[in-house]
Parts: sequence; C-alpha cells; structure tokens
Amino acid sequence: MVEREVVVPGDLLGEDPKLASHGTYVQDGKVYSANYGLVDRRSNIKVIPLSGRYIPARGDLVIGKVNDVTRSNWIVDINSPYEGLLHVSEFPERVDQDNMSKYLHVGELIIAKVADVDPSMKVELTLREEHLRILRQGRVIDISHVKIPRVIGRNGSMISMLKKELDCSIFVGQNGRIWLRGDEKMVDLAIRTIFKIEREAHTSGLTDKIKEYLKNELETMRNQK
Amino acid sequence: MSKPEKLIVDGKRLDGRGPFDMRPIKFTAGVLKRADGSCYLEFGGNKVMAAVYGPREVHPRHMQNASRAIVRYRYNMASFSVEERKRPGPDRRSIEISKVSREALEGVVMEELYPRSAIDVFVEILQADAGSRVAGINAASVALADAGIPMKCLVSAVAVGKIDGEVVLDLNKDEDNYGSADLPIAMNQFGEITLCQMDGHLTEEEFGRALDMAVDGCKKIHELQKQALIEKYGQDITPDVAQPIEGGETNE
Amino acid sequence: MSEDVIAEIKRDYIFSLAAQGDRADGRKFDEYRPISVEVGVIDKAEGSSRVKIGNTQVIVGVKMQPGEPFPDTPDTGVIITNLELVPLASPTFESGPPREDAIELARVTDRGVRESGAIDLSKLCIESGQKVWMVFIDVHVLDHDGNLMDAASLGAIAALKNTKVPNTKFGLGEDVPLPLNDVPVAVTAINVGNAILLDPSLDEGNVAPCRLTVITNKEGALAGMQKSGVGTLTPDQIKYIVHIASEKANVLREKLEGIQ
Repeated sequence: MVEREVVVPGDLLGEDPKLASHGTYVQDGKVYSANYGLVDRRSNIKVIPLSGRYIPARGDLVIGKVNDVTRSNWIVDINSPYEGLLHVSEFPERVDQDNMSKYLHVGELIIAKVADVDPSMKVELTLREEHLRILRQGRVIDISHVKIPRVIGRNGSMISMLKKELDCSIFVGQNGRIWLRGDEKMVDLAIRTIFKIEREAHTSGLTDKIKEYLKNELETMRNQK
Repeated sequence: MSKPEKLIVDGKRLDGRGPFDMRPIKFTAGVLKRADGSCYLEFGGNKVMAAVYGPREVHPRHMQNASRAIVRYRYNMASFSVEERKRPGPDRRSIEISKVSREALEGVVMEELYPRSAIDVFVEILQADAGSRVAGINAASVALADAGIPMKCLVSAVAVGKIDGEVVLDLNKDEDNYGSADLPIAMNQFGEITLCQMDGHLTEEEFGRALDMAVDGCKKIHELQKQALIEKYGQDITPDVAQPIEGGETNE
Repeated sequence: MSEDVIAEIKRDYIFSLAAQGDRADGRKFDEYRPISVEVGVIDKAEGSSRVKIGNTQVIVGVKMQPGEPFPDTPDTGVIITNLELVPLASPTFESGPPREDAIELARVTDRGVRESGAIDLSKLCIESGQKVWMVFIDVHVLDHDGNLMDAASLGAIAALKNTKVPNTKFGLGEDVPLPLNDVPVAVTAINVGNAILLDPSLDEGNVAPCRLTVITNKEGALAGMQKSGVGTLTPDQIKYIVHIASEKANVLREKLEGIQ
C-alpha cells in the first residue's frame, strides 16, 4: 500500500503546470497545494481535502431539508453554505401553487439531485428523476462530506456490507447526510458504525476493522436477547 | 515586576534567551468539535484558541459579496487573560487588531471560490503575554487550513522589539513593558509582508535589522504550523481515503 | 473607507500610468498635493488646526481638562485621541458608532503622538495620583479626497503646537503653551504594481492593495508604523518606504514651523 503524504496549503507539489488539478494552484509555473489534504499523483497532481464544507456541484445526489416555502420554490438546506432551490416545475407532480406546503412542507427531508449551480452559487434542485423522493420515515445523520467516500467504500463495498449485515435501507448523500431505515436496533448499530468510520476514516485496513466491529457488536446483541 | 536594571546580561535575556531566540511555541490543530477548523497555541505565556466557521451563509444578508466570500476576524481577550480584569467585549484596541489581523490573512484565502458566503475566524486570547496579536494570527492560519479552506499558503507572524538598545526577537511581557519598540510582522510563505505595525523608537538601520529578524522568525514558525497540521493525522494515512465519489447509494 | 466597487477601467488606468512613471494628477511618485496648515480655527478649543492636503480636509480640536491619572502612571497626563468619519465628508461614510476604519486612523494618529513622546506628559501632573491634565485630540474629517491618515496626523501635531494649557479656566494660574518635545510626522505610501506612490489620492488609495504609514520623529527615527489593507509588500519595499518617508517627513515638518 502506498503511503500518501499529507500536505498543507502552499506546499510545492511539482514543476509542471499541466499536471495541476483539484486542490492545487499554479504560480510562476509551479504547482502548489491549495488545501490541507492528501496528495494524489497517480494521473495528475491533486489534493484531496481532509476537511471542509460541502460545496454543491451539478449532478450531486444530496439529502436536503425544507427550510422555507415561497410561491414558486421550496428552499432547501443541503448542509452547505448555499441553500438549494426546488422550483415547483421540478416537483414530480402538478402543484397547486396556492398550497405548496400540501406537497412538501418545512422540516421534511428529500433526496434530490443538484440540477444546476450557477457562478454565483445559486443551486437548483430537482425531484424529477428515479430514486429522488421525499423521505417520510427513517432517520438521518450528518457527517463530514469528505468522509463519504469511506462510508461508501471501494466500489461500494463498505455500504453494501452495512446494508447486508444489518438489513437496513441506507442512502448516502454526497453532502454528508445519510438516511437510514430498518429495525431500530440495527439502525442504531449502523449509525454507530458510520460514526466510527468517520472517526477512523484516515486509518488503514478500515474495511476489515469495520467487519470485525460489526461481527462483535452483532454477537453481543444476540447474546443479550 | 519592577524595572530591572538590565534586560540583557552577558548577551542573555532575563529568561535565558539569546537575541534571536523565540519563546517555546506549541501548536495543536483540530481541538474543537463544533468548529469547522481550530487550533490551540501556546506561544510563550500566550494561550490562544482559534476557531474557524465556514464558508457559511452571511447574516446580515446585505454584507454578502456576489463574487467572493467575506472574511471576518474577531480578536477577543478573555477578561481573565491579563493581570487586571479586562472589561469584556470589544474595545478600540481589539477592533484595530481584528482589522489588521483579518487583512494579514485575507490575501491568502481563495475567497473567489465561495461567492456570497462568510468565513468567520474567532480568536480568543485566554492568557495574554506579549505578542498576543501575532500568536492569534499564527493560530488562525492553522485553524483556516484545518477547516479545509482553500488557501495559497499559511501566514506566520512574530514581533521584534528593542530592549536595552538591542533589537531582539519575540519580546516577553517584561521585555515588552520596559522595551522601547515593538514591531509585529506577519508574512506569507512567499516572503511577502501581510502585517506590519510598529510603535516605539527605532532608527532606520535598526528597523532594517528588525525586519530581517522577523522574516527569519516567521520562517521558523511556518515549519511549526506545518508540523502541527501533519501531526493531526499522524502516520496512519491510507491511499483509499482518496476514493472518488460515484453518486449516492441505495438498495431500494 | 474603501469606496467598495472600483470601476475596472479606473484601476487599469492608474496601474498603467504608474507603470509609465506617471500619476493621474501629474504628480511625481514622491510628491504631495498642496498642503496647507492653519491653526487657531476654533476659539472654544485649547488648540486647533485645519489641514488640507489637496481637497482632503480635516479639523483637529484639542480640549484639556483635569482628570484622574491611570493608577500605574500617577504623575503623567493622559492622551485620548478620537477620529470621526462624519457622513458630511464622503458619500460612503455613514452615521453611527465609529467603524474599524475610523478607529484605526485614530489609533495610528495617537500612536505617532504617544510613541514619539511629542507631549511632555510629565509636566501635566497637577496633583500626584489625584489630578492630571487630560489631553483630548479630536479629529474631524470634513472632506475625504484621499490620504486621511497623513492629514489627521499632521492636523493633530499642528493643533497640539497651538494648544495652551487652560490653567486660568480651572484656577491653576496662568495659561501656558502645551509642553512639547517632538514633532512626529506621518507619511503614507501605497504600492501600485511595482511603483511606490506617496500621498495617495482617493482613487489611488482605492485601487491600491494596501498602504503603509510611517511616522518619524524630528531626528528621523521611527515612532510608529501601520500597514493597512489586504495586499502585501516585500521587505525591500518596506525598507524603501521607511527611507523615503523619513526624508519626506522633513518637508512636511517645515509646514509646521513657526506655528504656535
């Protein structure tokens, strides 16, 4: 396993500006880190941040919370500095605009897709696609969005394991919000496990560690019955 | 203490340091749970906590800038941080320090990436020795990086002073009380000065030496800041942290 | 104090002029706009001045009254400097409590007077530990057309030179001139590209990434300094500014000669 080095903003990463990618910048023909993160030199030079807020990008699947309703939009908190706008036309059915809250009201959660982000960071959401919907049951937690890839795991291995072992429905939003539904005890354990993954995201052999952890926890639960 | 006869004896300062030595410095990155980024710094007798929130929504809304993030900086001394209790809340000194400290950091923050948002930096001086403003900038710089804010580089700061007619690096409280000049300097990694204040009395020649000394001090502090950030994650970093996200997952 | 959004063409114009060694108003890089200093403009004050640098105009009033000394300096007078950016001076100034720009200008003005030891505070003790003279320096900005810093600082020292200690008013004997030891002078520079310009006009100040104010005493030594603004300066630029500031301060100081 290749150890990847931690870099801080301003660290010199290379002399070829053509290789500069995410999390870097070029000054006087040299590539510097713009972030506190891990440097990845596999194809070009990029820095994967170890922290930071979720910034929406077109195509992201996110879990949002309705914060306000206007005559034509639902205003949705997407765990980001920028709120998302869900326009009536992006709702999957015809909406009576005099009664927007009948369809979706303040406090409700949705799985939405980021349809567009303009340069001033106006974020438009849509519900008009398969899998996108209102979440009226289950539970939701927030974790740091930079840890989401670890929760999903390589090719989805981590999340598949969680779902299979705990028999839960889980949806992982790219904005660091995770929705879970299933047996209460199992969901509790899933949440504990996800927080453990978040805490230990930067450590090696995580999948094996989590597998072991789940096995022990399930064992304990069975013995308590 | 009352004024000692001499602040430098046989080339040593009263706390045993030579003219080019700084006080002990210890940075710890990522010490607060709720903040997006944080840093605790002990710099001589200064105990400083810096926290960064953001980018986040701007309130009040009219402060928003359509093309970039705004940076706000609050330097605040705890009422128990000094010998005689300080009246809580901002005073003119802290407002000025907040302004120049913000300006010292703002230039390295890539504000254009986050239009309409705010990056809030809070610096609490829990215990004040001399040089609390430069300590605050050092801690804030680490906290900004810890918060994942994209930056061109870190900013490092130190003060130079004059005691017994000698230019020396990083005054402590007693030296500051009886010293005859104070020159707080902040510098980015590329050697550009981002904060420069001075009071007291320095000739042009002394000033030149003092500035060179501050530049060297900032370089040393920069190394300690980097170390603190690297140490936060220790040795056990694995490559697959870097997995790209391929959309959310559901099994329904 | 920034006028917030600067038209890009204005910025480009100032930078390209500077690159050719020129300024919009035709001045040399180290040349000040015309300076005028009047004193005794406010009869009710113990000392006062009106300073103009180009169209920039400030009035400084000095008031003195007996008050309690600080516990740690029972035998010395007290200086209190205040500056207000009143809405009449610029369309961008608003009423309300002083904002950070005003506080910074006041504190840097104060720093020059205080750190140079301009006022002989030891002679302002009336009764040790009980009563000393408080010197209130109030800077009132009337017209902001750039470089308020130097105008405020010059106005403060001019008004102090004009100040009489009002002994009669408080039954303490004859009025006497305020005892002064030094004449600190502030010189402010900006960097526009690689050019260093003194006495920035309003537009120049607004497009400059930062400014550096250097306060020197009559011996040419530094008494105070302040960088203001987000931009950076190299150590060599700072050393250069310090050098020309102490030379230029002598020229400004001549404007104060003969004032009392």
